[in-house]
Amino acid sequence: MMDDAAIIERCLKGEKEAFRFLVERYQTQAVGHSLAILANREDARDATQEAFVDAFQALKKFDRTRRFYPWFYVLLRHRCYKLLAKKREAENIEDAQILAPQTGVSGEERIALERALRSLSSEDREIVTLKYLDGFSYDEIAELLKIPRGTVMSRLFYARKQLQAKLTGKFH
Amino acid sequence: MNCEDILIQKLASLDGEKTELSIVEINAHLATCENCRREIERLESTALLLGRQQRQAPDADLWPAIEKRIGAEAETTSAVKWQPFILLGGLLVAYKLLELIPERDFGWALKLMPFILVAAIFAFLKENPFRINTELRLEK
Repeated sequence: MMDDAAIIERCLKGEKEAFRFLVERYQTQAVGHSLAILANREDARDATQEAFVDAFQALKKFDRTRRFYPWFYVLLRHRCYKLLAKKREAENIEDAQILAPQTGVSGEERIALERALRSLSSEDREIVTLKYLDGFSYDEIAELLKIPRGTVMSRLFYARKQLQAKLTGKFH
Repeated sequence: MNCEDILIQKLASLDGEKTELSIVEINAHLATCENCRREIERLESTALLLGRQQRQAPDADLWPAIEKRIGAEAETTSAVKWQPFILLGGLLVAYKLLELIPERDFGWALKLMPFILVAAIFAFLKENPFRINTELRLEK
């Protein structure tokens, strides 16, 4: 399988079709991340699509010694928060699911957690899902969000407290 | 260090992360602070609950829409790139016509003009005119 740097090299040589490999490699993950911020399926797709176009246009600036996704994630969240700011006045009504149904986890538990997650601020929901759904380390989250590691620790703590407060009485 | 700092450090250690305080220091505080112990238990159970979940992986096929967008972008870029060469061609034709005027000698400065013009255009485009492209292929 071709690595990201090789794909980017080909794109920079003018082979724009090569960008397809990057889109197909990361689109599911990226839409999932957008969904955690926007809580709306259509918006998540739009923001991800825009972010990929931004990435293509900015590929020359990409440092090929680094990983693609953390760099792309910065563009992605910029698009998400831009869209969120636009949509704030028009209330999001759609109940897009952030959590996937799965065996071994009760529906009731998942729905309660889903509701609690959706009631968090976008920033809190983003950091909590990056940690506990994706399993990123604090250093990786710091890289994705472009914030110091200490800030990751404290933001994660407060987000968890918020989530726990929302869940109180349900599973504790 | 206050209780909140200890809780942040303890949660980091439970997440398997490096902490600023040693485990001994954190546990020493917890041994004497019942509030912190209870809070850790609650927060830990929330983390366990979350850890059992999986992120929704929505079906997404974004490439067709993205392809259209970046295709259009590339066409615009290539159209813009031809303009300096059209300008260069015009200037070279003007130079040649100037040279054809009989019994007029503009000196060395004018003779160097074509080289200066070509160098200026390539400098403007940030292109190396001596670069060998080994990946020549027919465009669709």
